[in-house]
Amino acid sequence: MSSRALSLWGGRLLTILTIAGIGVTLLPYFWMLSSSLKTSSEVFELPVRWLPREPQWSNYPAALSRGAFGVYFFNSAVVALAVMAGNLLVCSLAGYGLAKFRFPYRELSFRAILSTLMLPLEIVLVPTFLVVRGLGLVNSYGGLIIPLAVDAFGIFLMRQYIKDLPDSLIEAARLDGCSERGIFWRIILPNCKPALGALALLTFRDNWDQFLWPLIVASKDTLKTFPLGLAQMEGIDSAAYHEIMAIAVIAMIPTAIIFLFFQRAFVRGIALSGLKE
Amino acid sequence: MFQQRVGWRWPSLSLQTRLCWAGFLFVLPALLHLIVFKFYPMVEAFRLSFYKYDLMTPPVFHGVENYKTVWNNPLFHQSFWVSVKYMFGVSVPEWFLAFALALLLNRGMPGRPVIRLAYFFPIAMSQIVVALVWKFMYNPLGVVNTLLGAVGIGRINWLATEQSALPALILIGIWRGIPLFGVIYLAGLQSIPKEYHEAATVDGAGPWQSLRHVTIPLLTPTILFVMVMSLLSAMKVFLNPLVMTEGGPNGTTRVLPYFIYETAFAYHRMGEAAAASMVLFAFAFALTLIQLRLLRRGGVE
Repeated sequence: MSSRALSLWGGRLLTILTIAGIGVTLLPYFWMLSSSLKTSSEVFELPVRWLPREPQWSNYPAALSRGAFGVYFFNSAVVALAVMAGNLLVCSLAGYGLAKFRFPYRELSFRAILSTLMLPLEIVLVPTFLVVRGLGLVNSYGGLIIPLAVDAFGIFLMRQYIKDLPDSLIEAARLDGCSERGIFWRIILPNCKPALGALALLTFRDNWDQFLWPLIVASKDTLKTFPLGLAQMEGIDSAAYHEIMAIAVIAMIPTAIIFLFFQRAFVRGIALSGLKE
Repeated sequence: MFQQRVGWRWPSLSLQTRLCWAGFLFVLPALLHLIVFKFYPMVEAFRLSFYKYDLMTPPVFHGVENYKTVWNNPLFHQSFWVSVKYMFGVSVPEWFLAFALALLLNRGMPGRPVIRLAYFFPIAMSQIVVALVWKFMYNPLGVVNTLLGAVGIGRINWLATEQSALPALILIGIWRGIPLFGVIYLAGLQSIPKEYHEAATVDGAGPWQSLRHVTIPLLTPTILFVMVMSLLSAMKVFLNPLVMTEGGPNGTTRVLPYFIYETAFAYHRMGEAAAASMVLFAFAFALTLIQLRLLRRGGVE
């Protein structure tokens, strides 16, 4: 075989490998979807039943009635959207300030902000709880949301992205008499859509299923997020896997929609913000 | 700049001052938030690690007792090593597999946008969904055993067996991490100008040489970033052990964050939990320092 033919077949082999990898990556999600539509006896049936004989759509309402899932999903949505909004606003403000202005201790501020990447909630769990308790925010939406509303990763991402925007854009607006606030809203934000998209996707995903923090700060049933509800349900009846999978499918929908909506921005945002430094 | 516009010295200075304040005010909300919810708690955690505190009665100064208690607690040592095993067990394969994925996705092939989309889709999936699906698949009657049974491997109760519980969680961690780190690598690959590879090919370099002498050196900052990010995110794992194994069997999956959570909120020993947090922090700090060192060295080249 000539070397040209060899590299052609090698290329095809790699393409097949790439496509086969998709199977490994997505199989668990397929299994979840298929199991959520099975009867309880089909779930563990042998030999493996890849698709249900007849889709059991009634699993979904049955699963939802196993707890106050309407309330839990609502709480998760409130937390995720509020934390996302907080991050988008505060991180882009700070990213702009750090990228395009000179002020005393700017580098120190940036380093201090970056250093909090080493302080995930897991490390400062106890004192953060004490702060929130001191502010009287235990068992409230404020307590669930505010401590998570700013994250150094978002500031880093926005700074990297804004740094690469041309200065002439800002100076032109300034010469036209645009206020600093106006420049931020009308020039900076519209020009950072990819970075904002990436940040929106990542913060929504990470906060839609907040578990550890709500576990500690929200003991009232009306404030529980859906992962707490799910963990509870799972503890009650671990045999009802078809119903647990139904809830998992529902839980997947918002993040899936956001991903499909933002995927372009997401990949571009990560690519353009460069992760250099 | 000042010398150029001597006549405009005052207005230009006041613009300068105004911009100075504007910049500071843009950063202020973020700084305030981080002071209240990161720096202050960090100082507080340090202080608390010298006190005996159960949330009900006022804290009592305790010297280094908490550190001694934690140090003499065999469960802490076990947790520490479980965390170390988990971190490296997840990250090291991730470094290589995510890189391989990025190389595959960077090739020209039919249907590339759809293929990329399929790989990146799982990035959007939340942790609890992942934990529950895998718990279901690892069930003794579940699909993992069924598929292995087809090749003649007997049924294993993956999550309830001491030897297999941690590897089972590690496998999930790897599977979960590859797409995100793959995107980051892919972004890095795409930022390398095509001419570099063309030049290497003209000079007679094969694909391997081109990878070793062009791609990898140019990608060093991304590689270091991925290395540290994957270690730090594996260090924080908490939900999977809690939902899937409750730290068991026999503590073989009780990672350090789980140990801290249990000490604080199940046993109400806040001081000891804070002392254990300090150890976790020292760990994170060391990792980040190493990264900065390596990055600086990488940047010089």
